[in-house]
Formats: sequence, structure tokens, C-alpha cells
Amino acid sequence: MIAVRDLSKDYSGEEAVVHALRDVTFTIERGEFVSIMGPSGSGKSTLLHLLSFLDRPTSGTYLFNGKNVAELSDEDLARMRNKAVGFVFQAFNLLSRSSVYENVEIPLLYSGLPFGERRAYVEAAVVSVGLGSKIRTEAGRLSGGEKQRVAIARALVNNPDILFADEPTGNLDSASGLQVMKILESLNKEGRTVILVTHEVNTAKFAKRMLKIRDGRLESDEKIAIHINELKERLK
Amino acid sequence: MSIKDLLRTAFLGLLHAKTRSLLTILGIVIGIASVILLMSIGKSAEKLILDQVQGVGSNLVFIFPGATKGSRLSSPPSVQGIITKTLVEGDIKELRKEPSIVRISPQVMGQARLVYGNNDLNASYAGVSADYFLIRGFTLASGRGFAESEVLSSSRVAVIGAELAKTLFGEESPINKSVRIKNSSFRVIGVLGPEGIGPFGVDQDNIAIIPITVAQSQLLGVEHYDVILLQANSEYQTDFVRSRITSVLRHTHHVSDPSKDDFTIRAQEELLSLLSSITSILTIFLTSIACISLVVGGIGIMNIMLVSVIERTREIGLRKALGATNRDILKQFLLESVILTFVGGVVGIAIGSLLVVLVYLILANFSASGWAFALPLSAVGIAALVSAGVGVVFGIYPASEASKKSPMEALRYE
Repeated sequence: MIAVRDLSKDYSGEEAVVHALRDVTFTIERGEFVSIMGPSGSGKSTLLHLLSFLDRPTSGTYLFNGKNVAELSDEDLARMRNKAVGFVFQAFNLLSRSSVYENVEIPLLYSGLPFGERRAYVEAAVVSVGLGSKIRTEAGRLSGGEKQRVAIARALVNNPDILFADEPTGNLDSASGLQVMKILESLNKEGRTVILVTHEVNTAKFAKRMLKIRDGRLESDEKIAIHINELKERLK
Repeated sequence: MSIKDLLRTAFLGLLHAKTRSLLTILGIVIGIASVILLMSIGKSAEKLILDQVQGVGSNLVFIFPGATKGSRLSSPPSVQGIITKTLVEGDIKELRKEPSIVRISPQVMGQARLVYGNNDLNASYAGVSADYFLIRGFTLASGRGFAESEVLSSSRVAVIGAELAKTLFGEESPINKSVRIKNSSFRVIGVLGPEGIGPFGVDQDNIAIIPITVAQSQLLGVEHYDVILLQANSEYQTDFVRSRITSVLRHTHHVSDPSKDDFTIRAQEELLSLLSSITSILTIFLTSIACISLVVGGIGIMNIMLVSVIERTREIGLRKALGATNRDILKQFLLESVILTFVGGVVGIAIGSLLVVLVYLILANFSASGWAFALPLSAVGIAALVSAGVGVVFGIYPASEASKKSPMEALRYE
């Protein structure tokens, strides 16, 4: 599904060029749950931006479902962000003055789905994250955990192939964080590809595969042999 | 993104910053209201001025003695106080033969002391022929105008203005009373209705109108005319009538070289078009001043939208991450400014119209000048178009700034 080869990204900083990412190569198959791990400044967010069509690489190739992303126009990339991927951000990025419904509806506005057909999708997505009773609540009034669940509903509403989560538990207490991770985990079990960026080992362990990034390079790529939850279940 | 969704998104964006949106709209409201008010005042003034000129009569042509140097619009020498004796009885006789002329009356003007009993005052008198009353379209409050036979027989009869009648006679009826003008006594045979200020600034309510023969021989001792008034046949073009008059007068005055013309022709129609072009310029001038405030309002919109774009950088990034194209963002922010100016325009039109009504009520009640109500539809239309245009012009820059933001940079923005 995702195949990157020698992917590099440079930023022209104030003094010198920053090599945020250097010659990264890997592939991700459909249905995988991958975590990208690394300390801050390692280049993991840059990698996520490239994978999720928010940014273009300086060099290297990125094939998404066999398509070379470099050949896509800005409008094509906007369409890909809209239809192929869903985002969950650390800072939630909800429109706090708008209702849960309006927030979840945003991707559908840009996908061109007619007004009448949107309602069912929005409601289903909101219900799936357990917030059906708060659908008309202003997003700013929700707790952190609820906000992140709204963000997940928003990421799911267009039924994307891949879910990108950038430090999704970073702004949450551990209970809410666990709840969010469990939702991501169950989404993966339903067959959805999930790519998670985090610097917390415990969060990363929900994934089945871990890419470690350091100083812009891919340091290691390993399968997490026994998934932590499976381990828990076995111990019961 | 559909228009409906765009509108909804833009509306929500504005509603989330209510106070700011309202204050921004205020600039446009003031601009549009002043455009409406000033355009309508201009129109009313134009109507007032043109009504007064048309009130003099219709299809009028004035012939002044003496040539006029310069363009058609410079003033003839007689108006400047130079006495020229070129217009005489023979001219009238020849002009009467012209089929393009319906009525004709010579006129002389003078000032004299008018006395009745113990009352007296200085007033203007006009010596004219019988046609004068019809040419000027005078209505008589009582009595009658004089007949051509009374003009020919030099009868000492007078028709007096409404104010003059009140001053001299008070509550008495002036009809058949005798009034002294200079040293001759005249029988009052008619009183004019209220007419106001006529051409050449003469107050028609304080005038005595007497047969021209009497005025020329007994009061002034002259043989020439100050001006000839004539009413053209409305079936003929003004230019044709003018050329007929010119050729008749050149013949009677034995002028063969056009540069030696000793008369000046002025048509009411030309005066009307001159005045209406002057008042239009006045209206345009007033409106342009109002437009300055509209431009200021527009810059206010641009300023606020730029602030809004910076403030909502994260929102822009988010929308782009969720699939908005540059064009979607551009449209959203452009629409926000157009909505601001459109709402400002609608409110401005309403407030401007209210002010127009208010001005009308005040001027119509406290001044008798005949102020007319005018709320030209063109003003409303122009105001609506201009306000939407201001939104586009001043909204495009902030909107394009918004659309150019990189989604990733925008998401990182704190």
C-alpha cells in the first residue's frame, strides 16, 4: 500500500539546511498497525507529513497504492487527504465554537457529498466513538478524551484507507489515552491500516510493528512479536 | 464544495466572531448610507431646480438684444447691464409670421414706487403684451389678464402679484381699484396666484404687469425691448426654431455676416440641459465624497480579514488537511468578506433610505421651497453593487493569503 524509497526531506533553516529525513526506505501493507517511534526532532513528524500528503519530499519516491505521489497535483493531494487518509492530531484541532456534528462533517463538505446524504455518515461516525448523546454539543466544552474521540470520528467519516495518528495521547490523561488507543486498536482489527507517531513506548506497543527513527534515519524496523493486549489476554 | 455549504461555512466563521463582524460591517453601513443619502439629495436638488425652470413656461425661447461673445452659454450683454436698443417693434411683427412660433411677447422691465391710499412700496413692473400670461402659464387668483386690444390702445390697466396685492390692499379686493405707478394711475384688473421667483431673478409675487405700450411710452420713454419671450411650436426642434428666428432677425436687422449678429437667442431647453448637467456633476461630486468613506470601510474589511486569516491559521491548516483545496479556502474567506459588505450594504441602504425620508420630512415641513422626495432606484442598485464589489476587491488579498498557507505549517502554528 505504501512504498517509500530513499525518501529525504530538507528544510532551509536560518543558518543551514536541516536534513529532517534522510534516505528512508520501507513498505507498509494494507491492514498493518505501525508505530513510528523516535525522540523529538528525530524526523518522525516529517515522515508522517510526507506519508499523509501534507508535504512533498525533497527527493526519493513515494508510491501510494502503486501511484507515484510526486506526479500528483496539489488538488490531487487535497483529494487524497480528503478521501484516502484520516488524521488524528495531538492537539485535536477541532473548531471549538462549532458543534461535534459540524466538526465531523468537515471532510464530507470537501468530498462533495450532498447535504442530505451527509447526516447518516456523520451520525454513524459519532456513534461509533460513543458520543451519540453529545452530537450537538459545542466541541470546546468537551473533555480532552471526548475531543480526541470526536477527532477520530472526523477521521473516519470519509471511510479512509489509512488512519494517521500524530501523538494522539500526548494531551490526554492515561485513562483517556488508553480509551483512544483501544479505539485505534479495534479499528485496526476491523482491517483499517493505522500509522501512529509517538515517542511513548507504551503507546507504541499497541502497534504490531515499530519503525524507529533517529536523526532523520530509519534506525530499526521490527515486528512486535507478541502484541501487548494479546499478552494480557493470555495472562488472564 | 457546494454554494450552500460555502455560505454556511462562511456564515459560521463570521458568527463565531460576532462583535468583530458587526464592527467591521459598520464602516460599510456608514459608507453605503451616505452614498444613498447624498445621491438622493442630489436628485431632489436637481428636481427642485429643473421644476423651477420648467415652471416659467414650456418651449420658451428668449431673445436678448446684443450679440454674445463666446459660447452659447455665456451671458448676453443686456444681462450684464449694457443697454442695447436693437430689438424693436418691427422684429415682433416679422416673428409673428413664423409658423414655428406659437406666442410672442416683448418685455420691458422697470422699478417704480407703487402707491395705493396710505400704502406704498418700491416694486418691479413689467411691460408685456397679452400673450405673456399664456406664455408664462400664469394662473390668476382673481380678475383677468389684459387683452391685445388694451395693449394696442395703451390702456392703463395692471395685473399685480399676490404679495404686492396683500401689501398694498391688505384684505381689500384690489380689482378695479386704482394704483399709482410712478405718476400714472392704473386700474387693477387681475391678481396673480403665488408664482415665486421667475427668470432673471424677478419675484413674480411682487410685480406689476402692464401693457408694453404704456410701459414704453409713459413710464420709460423708450422704443426698444429688454427681451422678447416666445413660445415655440412643440412640433419643431429647438434648433430649427432657433435658425428661423436667426434668419428673420438677420433680415429685419439687415445683417449678412453672422459674426455681426446683434441679438442672442436662448432656449429654455438648453438651459434645462445645462442645469441638469450641472446638478448631475454636483450629484457625482457628492457621491464620490461618500465613496471615500466606502473605501475606508473596505480597507477596514481587508484589515480585519487579514487579522482573521492569521488568527485562524490552524483552522486553515486543518481544513486543508481534511481535504480543502486552495480554491476552497479562497472561496470561504472571500465569501466571508462579501457577506460582511453585503450585509453592510443592505443595512446601509435601509438606514440611508430612512435618512432620506427624514431629510424630506424636515425640508418639506420647514421650508416652502418645494423640496421633492427622491430615492432613485439607481442609487439603491449602485449601492448594492458597490458594497458587494468592495467585498470582492478588499477580500481577495486576505483570501489569497489564506489559501496560500501550507497545511503543515498552518497546523504547527501556535
